Amino acid sequence: MTRPSTVDEVVDALSTAGGDLRAGGTDLLTRRRGPFVDLLGVPALRGVTWRPDGAARLGAMTTVAEVAADDRLRAAYPALPRAAAELATPQVRAAATVGGNLLQRNRCWYYRNAHFACHQTGGDTCPARAGVNLYSAVIDQGPCVAPHPSSLATVLLAYDATVEVTGRGTLALRDLYGDGSDPTRDHTLTEREVLLAVDLPAPTPGEQAAYQRVAARSSAEWPLVEAVARLVRSGPTITFAAVAAGGVARTPVRLPGVEAALVGRPATAETFRAAAAHATADCAPLSQTGYKVGLLRDTTLDVLERAGTP
Amino acid sequence: MEITVNGRPATVDAGPADTAVDLIRDDLGLTGTKLACGTGACGACTILVDGTPAAGCLTPGTALEGREVTTVEGLDGTHPVQRAFVAHDALQCGYCTPGFVVAAAAFTDRWRAEHGDVAPDRAQIARELSGHLCRCGAYESVLAAIAAACAGRHDTGDPAPARVEAWEKVTGRARYTTDVRLAGQLEGALIRSTLPHAQVGAVHVAGSKVVDLLPADRVVRYVGQPIAAVAAPTRAAALAAAASAEVAYTPLPAAVTTADAEKPGAPLVYESRAARKDAPRSNEAPLSPAKWTGNVRGPSAASWRGGTATKRIAAARESGDDRLVTATFTTASQSHTSMEPHACVARWDDRGELHLHLSTQAVGRVAAEVAKRWGLDAARVHIVADHVGGGFGAKVHVTSDLVAAVELARIHAAPVRVVLDRAAELTDGGSRPATRIELSLLADGAGNLAAMSLDSWGDAGTAIGANSAALGRYIYGNAPRQLRDFDVLTHQPPGAPFRGPGGPPLVWALEQAVDEMAQRCGEDPIALRRRWDGNPKRRALYDWAAALPAWTDRQPAGSPDGRFRRGVGVAATNWLYLLDPATEIELVVEQGVVVCRTTTQDIGTGSRSVIGDVVRTELGLPADRVRVELGRTGTVAGPASVASSATPSIGPAAIDAARRLRAALPAGPVVDALAAAEGLRVVGRRRRDKLGYVTPFPIGGLAIGRGFAGAVHLSEVEVDTRLATVRVTRVWCGVAAGHIYAERLARSQCEGGIIQGIGYALFEQRHVDPATGVVLTDNLDDYRIPGIGDTPEITVHFHQEGWDHVTGHGVGLGEISTVGVAASIGNAVAAATGWRPYDLPIRPDRLREGINR
Repeated sequence: MTRPSTVDEVVDALSTAGGDLRAGGTDLLTRRRGPFVDLLGVPALRGVTWRPDGAARLGAMTTVAEVAADDRLRAAYPALPRAAAELATPQVRAAATVGGNLLQRNRCWYYRNAHFACHQTGGDTCPARAGVNLYSAVIDQGPCVAPHPSSLATVLLAYDATVEVTGRGTLALRDLYGDGSDPTRDHTLTEREVLLAVDLPAPTPGEQAAYQRVAARSSAEWPLVEAVARLVRSGPTITFAAVAAGGVARTPVRLPGVEAALVGRPATAETFRAAAAHATADCAPLSQTGYKVGLLRDTTLDVLERAGTP
Repeated sequence: MEITVNGRPATVDAGPADTAVDLIRDDLGLTGTKLACGTGACGACTILVDGTPAAGCLTPGTALEGREVTTVEGLDGTHPVQRAFVAHDALQCGYCTPGFVVAAAAFTDRWRAEHGDVAPDRAQIARELSGHLCRCGAYESVLAAIAAACAGRHDTGDPAPARVEAWEKVTGRARYTTDVRLAGQLEGALIRSTLPHAQVGAVHVAGSKVVDLLPADRVVRYVGQPIAAVAAPTRAAALAAAASAEVAYTPLPAAVTTADAEKPGAPLVYESRAARKDAPRSNEAPLSPAKWTGNVRGPSAASWRGGTATKRIAAARESGDDRLVTATFTTASQSHTSMEPHACVARWDDRGELHLHLSTQAVGRVAAEVAKRWGLDAARVHIVADHVGGGFGAKVHVTSDLVAAVELARIHAAPVRVVLDRAAELTDGGSRPATRIELSLLADGAGNLAAMSLDSWGDAGTAIGANSAALGRYIYGNAPRQLRDFDVLTHQPPGAPFRGPGGPPLVWALEQAVDEMAQRCGEDPIALRRRWDGNPKRRALYDWAAALPAWTDRQPAGSPDGRFRRGVGVAATNWLYLLDPATEIELVVEQGVVVCRTTTQDIGTGSRSVIGDVVRTELGLPADRVRVELGRTGTVAGPASVASSATPSIGPAAIDAARRLRAALPAGPVVDALAAAEGLRVVGRRRRDKLGYVTPFPIGGLAIGRGFAGAVHLSEVEVDTRLATVRVTRVWCGVAAGHIYAERLARSQCEGGIIQGIGYALFEQRHVDPATGVVLTDNLDDYRIPGIGDTPEITVHFHQEGWDHVTGHGVGLGEISTVGVAASIGNAVAAATGWRPYDLPIRPDRLREGINR
């Protein structure tokens, strides 16, 4: 194991010794036994910084708990700390990092079970498609149907965030995940690229936001569906809308049809209902994920109503 | 690497793959911290790192460098939270307790610093403790304990524990089998089948001696079946050796699902009569004979005027009688998944005697099985089970962990520890059979029960005996009934008896059908049950339930509109009264203390406390003059912790023993008399009930006593019809089990039974891949047990009359407290939404489909 203390040393260690980058380790340690390049000792990657225009930059090693508890983030980007506070458990949030959350592997129980070979583990099939796919995707983006696991990614997608990556510079968050057609991976970074920070655009004045995750138990459960909505109104009229969903596809997804059906229209129950119906445009359910079509629509409706109500 | 642990500097050598819990338990020997799930889901391994709770299994060992680590041992038994857990009985088996205590201590300190000495609300506490799972379901008391500690009510004092071993459990001193480490001990690991059905040839592991665990025919019948075991000085090395095993399989065709298994010409799970004879059982009760047709065993019939029942039902169907309720119900397979996995440490001494540390709920029974299996005199088998981290029915017999440890210890001539990991536990550690129940219920013109027909198909993998229908014999009078049980054998892991075997599926079906009938008859569901049910004890519970404001003020069924809908549902149940009539308890005066011993164990149910309370009360002694030593062989016979039989066995035996001791002591105060009675020994017996027993002689150590324990559960739910989730908000549990020996512990049992019932109703489902037979829910993220945030407000009511014919006047309640919970929730969901759930668990996808239909 290598324990660098600067970003340069990290890059160096990856090219010489190699190994998995380890941040909080909450996902990695359940899958891998090393060798690791440990990021815990790189102080430059930790913490939230603010630009003069009020935009925030989240160091990749900032913990999820720090995001959840940050009052300034709550004021500027209300959906982000909310999602951070609701994912996983207090112990996991204290250790898990922003970068680790964005780059974690998916939760598919076929992928994580050593008995199966699938697209992700060197095989050429997806056993979930013919198997128990109750928790799989409902938007079919490619050969693999494991939903993306990152709640922060869903929210940051709605915030038009970008990420800074060694050797690549700035990357739009959607490009970090691609279109979901590559079944072998949960993001587009190579093994030697390091995600350094997440940049959010300057806050949108007057934004109201809502985040909702749906699971059977009260907490500590991966969402069946999650959705985030950011709305800005001028008088009764919606002037800006950003809506995204998770738990439904190989990548977190923006819902452009929903956004288009909101902007320029009055913030009424009728508008929200009509807009939420567009959420399911790309749904193509598997044998057991039909319920996610309606659930995606209704979860979207829920966040629209909450973000659209003064 | 230097760290500070509990205020003292320590040096440890952390490898890259070592987690914090490895270092703390193995290197530092601080075994208060438990490893239970290994994936950060359960919180049993929680430690404080610089004051913040961390999951020890997910924390890299290297991340501790230079940090201050606090484990449960570091709280020293003086933290207010520890006192509060003791005072409120916020624990049962205790295996998850150190994790809860450590996190709760950090939360309580922070809360009081920020808010002063005020109690947080339930939701705030639940959010902070959402990283902890307790399989016993002690959440209600945990909530109460933490609230009290935050309010500053436990800053001083030395609370008298309701549970005698509570202090050991809240300080991490309680030693479980997984904590045992003997000199020279090796670690064992199992090699398991990767195929659902195969003939196994040679098993080879380079550089390791191999112990064979296959059945005589060398056929494996499910993925995960033990094939062999190896041992090595470390667990990592043992796992690596097991992973490197070369197993010569000849694959055989498999029938993984019941649909596969029922097809004509399906591959047979048991090809021969001999193979069937060794089929494991998912029920403790003796099985009535039944014929086999392919993979289907049955019907094993328990009918009463079955022909009349079927004729009446057929006629009612013909005439379109609306008082015929017919429906098909299904239930999912529920995994036991005790927080302490199956575990055994075995050692042969140089006299050829066998010493076992074992996580078991049946010290005496397993000792007898071990003696028989290895051809030893009973006196040469020594078992220690001081503390057992839950069982729920899956730790009653010799299991593969024990066989592996014993055989490995023999061939290595060294002690060997075998501990199942969570994946093995959730695959091969036991589960309640899934069922499909076809039910018809017919009422006559007067609204009386006219006939019942109940066909149950149990799916317990390779196990037989998933009897549910048979239990339909014992409730709602004597109306004619056809009751038929079938087992459908599949190439899946075997089921095991699970708290109230057969009961929850039967009641899920029957009690929902009774509600449906009440609706058709236009009658209050409790009133109809009261009319149908002649049992006077249960009638008292109906009166209690019917008078609850939650019932009298409830909304009419299915009436409310809007997104959030509330409903209240009821379910009535009965349960057999069993006991171990051979139970004895010995009392010995040792240095002025009365020491109580019997061959039983405390798996979290409170047996130790029942004996201690009884003896103390009978003799009028203070707590420090009575000590209970359970969990060991070498003393008088005692009961297994099964079938709700332990308390009605040990309670009366303890009374008898105490009275004998009193009689043997000189007159005067007992405390004074003890001083002069060193070594005095008496043995108390479980005296026979006045009316004797239903069974002429005990079967498997158990007699069936006369009378049935009863329960009535009332559940209130809130359904979010938009997001398709169900929250159980309040539960009332009325139990008629006669005299309650230890009230606080009995209450804890009932609260835990309710939590497990909520899991069964809403969350728990073992999923198996239909193509390969691999259990997919092999971790505690994917196998969903209830968390503290899923805990309703619980009220427990004991009706203590009606058991005068029973010695001690009380019977068990471990099972009756859980059997009816899911059905009451089903009825509550139907009342809230107008949609009746037929399939368990009531998952969001099913609820959505149902209410939007």
